[in-house]
Amino acid sequence: MTTMTETRTPVRSTAGSGSVTFGGVLRSEWIKLRSLMSTRILLLLTLVAIIGVGGLAVLIRYSVLENMARTARDQGQTMTPDMMEKSFPPGSGFDLYNLPNAGLQIGILVLGSLAVLFISSEYATGMIRSTMNAVPRRTPAFVAKAILLAVVSYVITTLAAVVTFLIAMPVFRGLGFDLGWFTDGVLYSVFTGGLYVSGVALIGLSLGTLLRNSAGGITVLVGLFFVLSIASSFMTFIPGDFWKYVPQYIPSEAGGRFLSIGHTDGVIDPWQGGLIFLGYVLLFVVPAMIVLKKRDV
Amino acid sequence: MIEAKGLTKVYGGKAAVGGVSFTVQAGQVTGFLGPNGAGKSTTMRMVMGLDRPTSGTVTVNGLPYAEHKAPLHEVGALLDAKAVHTSRSAYNHLLAMAATHNIPKSRVHEVIEMTGLEAVAKKKAGGFSLGMGQRLGIAAALLGDPQTLILDEPVNGLDPEGVLWVRNLVRYLADQGKTVFLSSHLMSEMAQTADHLIVIGRGRIIADAPVEQIIAGTRQARTLVRTSSASQLSALLAGEGVKVDQSEAETLEVTGMDSRQIAQVALENRVLVYELTPQLSSLEDAYFDLTKDEVEYHSHLSGGPTEAYATATAGK
Repeated sequence: MTTMTETRTPVRSTAGSGSVTFGGVLRSEWIKLRSLMSTRILLLLTLVAIIGVGGLAVLIRYSVLENMARTARDQGQTMTPDMMEKSFPPGSGFDLYNLPNAGLQIGILVLGSLAVLFISSEYATGMIRSTMNAVPRRTPAFVAKAILLAVVSYVITTLAAVVTFLIAMPVFRGLGFDLGWFTDGVLYSVFTGGLYVSGVALIGLSLGTLLRNSAGGITVLVGLFFVLSIASSFMTFIPGDFWKYVPQYIPSEAGGRFLSIGHTDGVIDPWQGGLIFLGYVLLFVVPAMIVLKKRDV
Repeated sequence: MIEAKGLTKVYGGKAAVGGVSFTVQAGQVTGFLGPNGAGKSTTMRMVMGLDRPTSGTVTVNGLPYAEHKAPLHEVGALLDAKAVHTSRSAYNHLLAMAATHNIPKSRVHEVIEMTGLEAVAKKKAGGFSLGMGQRLGIAAALLGDPQTLILDEPVNGLDPEGVLWVRNLVRYLADQGKTVFLSSHLMSEMAQTADHLIVIGRGRIIADAPVEQIIAGTRQARTLVRTSSASQLSALLAGEGVKVDQSEAETLEVTGMDSRQIAQVALENRVLVYELTPQLSSLEDAYFDLTKDEVEYHSHLSGGPTEAYATATAGK
């Protein structure tokens, strides 16, 4: 059987004689991503939306704090920024170091859905068969898609975080807050928000691969990251202490905990939240890769 | 060269392809024929590694498709023209496929030119007509200048110029020593293009032979005779191994005697014959003979034209 390959003259043509390389596959997926007008528009709008929602969150926090300061002034007291900050318990949504990620939920929703679509649309249109023809080993195509989505999600989220914080800084400085890039937790916030969204994108890509259906994949993603967190908040009403500790282990809460700083009693630490979230990512990515490799397309 | 050994694919307990073995040789065009649902596409999909065989193996140029280092240079395939993202332009589609093998941009332009897609290359593939989609599929198959070409219904939806182009292209590639494996339902097209035929029915190989052999081997030669005294001639011709059918008042169809022998009989008995035409068996006849018991999906009005008409009007 090997005689065929041995006796054949080497391919010499205008098509070149290159083999499949991972760099080539990565470039191919990048061409696919950028050559869809809808994706380009969506990415741009996502950036704008994350910053927009972030800006809105900045405005809301500003008006609450400003109100507080004015009320205090009217009563003839002075309220220092430090006192204002302390009047909210940590994790209540008024931690200023967390401002860069104020619009993160939009990023999760849109970039996660885009990740689902990146592969489910290939199944819907039949493109997946062309992809598998060019990369019959299949796994490199999935890994290339995963890397691209993770990088694109990270870059967009981080860029939006930086811009959101640039908007927030002068606003809160006006209230007397000493808020800057080196305020405790700010840089951590800027650089981890993107990691979280990248993780969501990987889960989205895996859902698209497993379900091969855009609507189904997006529905499950929204269920995981939005509906489940609402549902789990009802769990705390169940009598018994046990149920109070369960919600922090769901993907969105564990991931959210990863973005905060410091130890809080009765709550998992940020690094634990990060590890749990990473576990969830692998829980979806590994089966998706196995199924992609084995299933007929 | 494509080599299948005991290739089987079972879908939900039913064998779509039931243990087929065949070899597609290099340097010739091999046609793949069979009724709808016979297992042609499934077989081709297994060759390309899209479907995993339930059992058996298939190799292309000595290796399973997925194990080649440069699969697009080994095999170019058009399995279905719809394997394209509808919102992406033809050019970007080809560019993305080419990137995986570091095939230069110039080759992308080359295949676009070869397939006559220049005018629409920058347009969304979703808006393409059937024929244009087919051209794009062929362009993708040619991208890697492959040793082996697998084309499922390549002329489907093509204009006459396109059909001729595909015929010339596959002939040219086969003459270059490449392996060409194509399926088609157009029998006349297949008869003109293919050197060798593999006929499949209900997941099994029914015939695997050169085209001439398949056409010749199935039916005895027939001769059409038109005469003013059909019944008289019919009686004169009847004999051992000779079959005479009278289809119209003055028309006979004779099997088992050639036209010279018929003319001789007519001359000796002073019967006027005004037409004597040897009926060449066509690939279509041969195909119907081969597959008559293997057709999975019979058309509803499967009788002759009159019977079909009767069935159709009976419901009124």
